[in-house]
Amino acid sequence: MTPISAVLTEQQSDLRDAVANLMAKRSPEAAVRRLMSDESGYDTAVWSELAAMGLLGLTIPEEFGGAGADATELAVVAEQMGRALLCAPYLSTAVLTPYLLLALGDPAESAETLPRIAVGELLATVAFAEGGSARPPEHPTTSATVDGDGWLLTGEKTYVLDASIADRFYVQADCTSGVAIFAVERTAPGLSITPLTTVDPTRKQGRLTLADTPGRLIGTIGVGGPALEHALDRAAVALIAEQAGGAMHAMQMATDYARVRHQFGRAIGSFQAVKHMCVDMLLEAQSALSAARHVAAAFDACEPDRLADLALAQGYCSDAFVFVAATGIQVHGGIGFTWEHPAHLYLRRARTDAQVFGDSNWHRERYVRLREENS
Amino acid sequence: MTDASDDDVRAEVRQWLADNFDPTRDRGEWSRKVFDAGWSAPSWEPEWGGRGLSTAQSRIVAAEFGDVGAYGTGADRADMLACTVRDLGTEEQKLRLIPPSVRGETRWCLLYSEPGAGSDLAGLRTRADRDGDDWIVNGQKVWTSFAKTADYGLLVARTNWDVPKHRGISFFIFPMRQPGVEIRPIHQITGESEFNEVFITDARVPHANLVGEPGGGWAVLQLALAYERRLMGDLARTAKSTRDLKPDADSLIGMARAAGVLGNAHIRQEIARAESLATVNRWNTQRAKTTTDPTEAATLMALGKIAMSRILHETARIQTEVVGPESMLTGSDNPVGDAVTFRTLNAYFTSIGGGTDQIQRNIVGERILGLPKEPEPHRETAFRDLPH
Repeated sequence: MTPISAVLTEQQSDLRDAVANLMAKRSPEAAVRRLMSDESGYDTAVWSELAAMGLLGLTIPEEFGGAGADATELAVVAEQMGRALLCAPYLSTAVLTPYLLLALGDPAESAETLPRIAVGELLATVAFAEGGSARPPEHPTTSATVDGDGWLLTGEKTYVLDASIADRFYVQADCTSGVAIFAVERTAPGLSITPLTTVDPTRKQGRLTLADTPGRLIGTIGVGGPALEHALDRAAVALIAEQAGGAMHAMQMATDYARVRHQFGRAIGSFQAVKHMCVDMLLEAQSALSAARHVAAAFDACEPDRLADLALAQGYCSDAFVFVAATGIQVHGGIGFTWEHPAHLYLRRARTDAQVFGDSNWHRERYVRLREENS
Repeated sequence: MTDASDDDVRAEVRQWLADNFDPTRDRGEWSRKVFDAGWSAPSWEPEWGGRGLSTAQSRIVAAEFGDVGAYGTGADRADMLACTVRDLGTEEQKLRLIPPSVRGETRWCLLYSEPGAGSDLAGLRTRADRDGDDWIVNGQKVWTSFAKTADYGLLVARTNWDVPKHRGISFFIFPMRQPGVEIRPIHQITGESEFNEVFITDARVPHANLVGEPGGGWAVLQLALAYERRLMGDLARTAKSTRDLKPDADSLIGMARAAGVLGNAHIRQEIARAESLATVNRWNTQRAKTTTDPTEAATLMALGKIAMSRILHETARIQTEVVGPESMLTGSDNPVGDAVTFRTLNAYFTSIGGGTDQIQRNIVGERILGLPKEPEPHRETAFRDLPH
């Protein structure tokens, strides 16, 4: 097996620089803090800029108005957004939803929806978790029953990303003959949306209650389960890149502080107890970055081991980001314990990212299972 | 430097080996032939057994030699004596010392560490005192491989006690085969003996074997250590299967299955944890090799040793959990327990040898992250006045 390259091409470096510039301008700490306390949690002007730059259509094929970018390009973008803690429904609308629709193989729905996502006029999210786990349940209690030409959905979905602002929900439900995905409009009767009180105010979530709520079947019955798994795997490539970017930034912030903060007449970074923490952060952040870059390249190369690599990387990047963000607070000392300092914002994001597509134990178990199957 | 392409070099060395290599040939005769052909140290000048190739091409030559089982090349990367003398020796030293070393007619060992100077190597107390055309050496060195077969030791000794510690050290090519040099093997915690202690009592080294100026030995040592680190890097990249140093990706799952604990949820988590450490380290190395950004590459390579320490210790820890009570037993009757204990103990080889993990973290913190050094209150204190 030839080693796959995780090095960026010139075009990818340009993309990284463009996104980094945008983040510096539009997602500085002041903007993040403003959106943290805003109910919608995102800035419509920035969303339009993302659309204009082609970032909302990044994962969308050209035939549906997008750029048809590969996983490596998505990872480049997600890494920069993670560094800046961008507050926007990017993961739900621009990543998870397109991947799900493409996996469902419903060209009509893709043609109707994806171009609108790419230009920024539709916000969509995916509703699958039902509590207990943030992963999709194998046998959802949310049910879909036939009603004339359509379906009626009843049940409860939680940990739904950006639920309060989504125009449309793609809801996983059981219709007796199998699991399927149904499109539910925000305005549908019987749908109620409750915002969840999240630890991470930069990433909003909500709970859906459906009571005989009309939904449209997308794709076919039985495809819903595997399509959702596939979409979560593809979206996880972005999530781990975001974790790596967040970890890199949190590490940088702490080491910069250790260089300038003086106690006992010397920079605290000259104390080995602090210096060693910084090096441990560097190792974890850099390793997470290598993992995220490798997995993206492995998906682009259709490497046979890519799912095992992803499972391993999801477990690793989740723990690495939490470790780096947590250690960063400790390095900052008293100032790191204040709400005004951004260190805790990275820990909040890290703890959310470490759960939102399943916790690291789940990914590690998946890794061993995949390895067992291949040995 | 010639402008031969890599392919030209590969073709030429391959042809030369086909024409000349004969495994039954006398060792000395073969080494002279390799030297005269310029394959001993391919990146050096012809007079030192080279032919002016690039370092990368020198590695190509080594790979071709390796493929046919031939020896005698690579002195430009592996011969610390010749590398150091070539850069910093006098013309007389070069002519006298390099050719026999490069041809393998003389062998060398390293006399750096001391019982009282490990992480703080500049605190060494082995002394060399001028006596006519010689220096008289007294002291004790430790962690020396191949001391018994060496003709020379690359020796750092204190020649001036009235200046700060880094400035009173001199670097010698010290003759090992003389009275006053006593070699005792060190018994390691693994039960193996790869290293020796060297006791030096009134032994002599000619002034002609001083490399650099008296008191200038620290700078010479830094160069010699840089060559050594380059060699260690080469070896780490090309190592096939040095005993148990590379945790095989399948070994944990295989071991757990054999021990009947692969169904244990805790063990499964631990296996995945250990394998993720090894795997991300591999991804780090890949990224370091392919990036065009030298800072990124240097950062990743600098982290490699710390990462490897953790991989070895963690893998051994989890293997211990998998094996369970057999980890109490050793010897050939208990091969699995024996191997696990060996790995557990041998992991310290990496976390202590070549700079402890803690020193390594200082180096990375200072050189990569730009964090300030610890204050050195005795920076300007004469060595003899240091507290100890």
